[in-house]
Amino acid sequence: MRNPYEVLGVAPTASAADIQKAYRKLAKKLHPDLNPGDKAAEDKFKEVAAANDLLSDADRRKRFDAGEIDADGTERPQHRYYRDFATAGEGHPYADSSGYADYMDQDDAFAELLRRSEQARANRRGRDLHYSLAVDFSESIAGASKRLTLPDGGTLDVTIPPGLVDGQVIRLRGKGMPGSGKGGPGDALIEGEVRPDPRFAREGDDISLELPISLSEAVLGGKVNVPTPTGAVTMTVPKGSNTGTTLRLRGKGAPKVGGGHGDEFVKLKVVLPKGPDPALEAFVSNWDRKGFNPRDDGAS
Amino acid sequence: MNKQQFLIDAGLEVQTLELWVEQRWLIPDETAHEISFSDTDVARAHLIRDLKGDFGVNDEGIDVILHLVDQLHGLRRAFEQLHKDIASPPR
Repeated sequence: MRNPYEVLGVAPTASAADIQKAYRKLAKKLHPDLNPGDKAAEDKFKEVAAANDLLSDADRRKRFDAGEIDADGTERPQHRYYRDFATAGEGHPYADSSGYADYMDQDDAFAELLRRSEQARANRRGRDLHYSLAVDFSESIAGASKRLTLPDGGTLDVTIPPGLVDGQVIRLRGKGMPGSGKGGPGDALIEGEVRPDPRFAREGDDISLELPISLSEAVLGGKVNVPTPTGAVTMTVPKGSNTGTTLRLRGKGAPKVGGGHGDEFVKLKVVLPKGPDPALEAFVSNWDRKGFNPRDDGAS
Repeated sequence: MNKQQFLIDAGLEVQTLELWVEQRWLIPDETAHEISFSDTDVARAHLIRDLKGDFGVNDEGIDVILHLVDQLHGLRRAFEQLHKDIASPPR
């Protein structure tokens, strides 16, 4: 690199203020973004910036003056200038045609060309908008129609497809930001957030549920009401059911891709009445099945 | 890129960024839920930093400069398109 004092055009005795002044004067003229058409500006600017980096650091300037370091190796790390994007990039939000808008209003071939190129750029599709929507568990299985209120006060009617899984994105075509010209609007992308239901758990297309039953229902069997995402149904508990016995309600799960439905698995749980129950105690004292030990697996 | 990455790449504090976005010096892609930045935004932030830091331009000056720079690039774009159209005229 050239002598940094020469680059900035200052005397070796120049004050820090003089150096800053000289640098600013040159940098303003040479900054690549203020000279988008000058390919050489970048190299010139870099040289000036590097000279300034060295001389504006009192410690490094002293060491340079003493001959301890030279002016090399002070280049700034490479970064891309705004001019590299601003002219080439299509559709960035900073584009401004007001510098030649008056020419486009004229009635001649030149204006026609300008208008045409403006139009080519103007036909841009609108942006997609992202939303999220909370959905109840039962709605996620059975499907639903929901109305989404937008931050700007507008609304969107969203059809929740049956069997929606948590995080699934529903695309509403054309409900995003308006496009410009013939670009057409963007889409609204709605992410469904399924609110868990403490009763149900979903595994793939099947759902499972734990159903409390009474001792008599377990021993004698009977008909019980079972909740499903689409409403309660009646199910027969067979005689002699136990905690852990799992029954299947066919077709009460989530819809399957390609038709049909998953199943609902009902896991029974025998629940004794709360608190002391003298009648039950008296009955069990009399009920004595010799030799039954549920912890005996028959190995002993 | 997300906000965090942008702050690193552009070397900005979050308060500065908010101010610049408020002034419309930077126009990131904003939706209801997220904000994202392009390489163009990074390069533009570097330019604003150079203007404010190295050149001592005040906020009013930045407004004027950015507006003129944007118009200049608009012109260059139109000029480029014209150049192409003249070289191979559209039917």
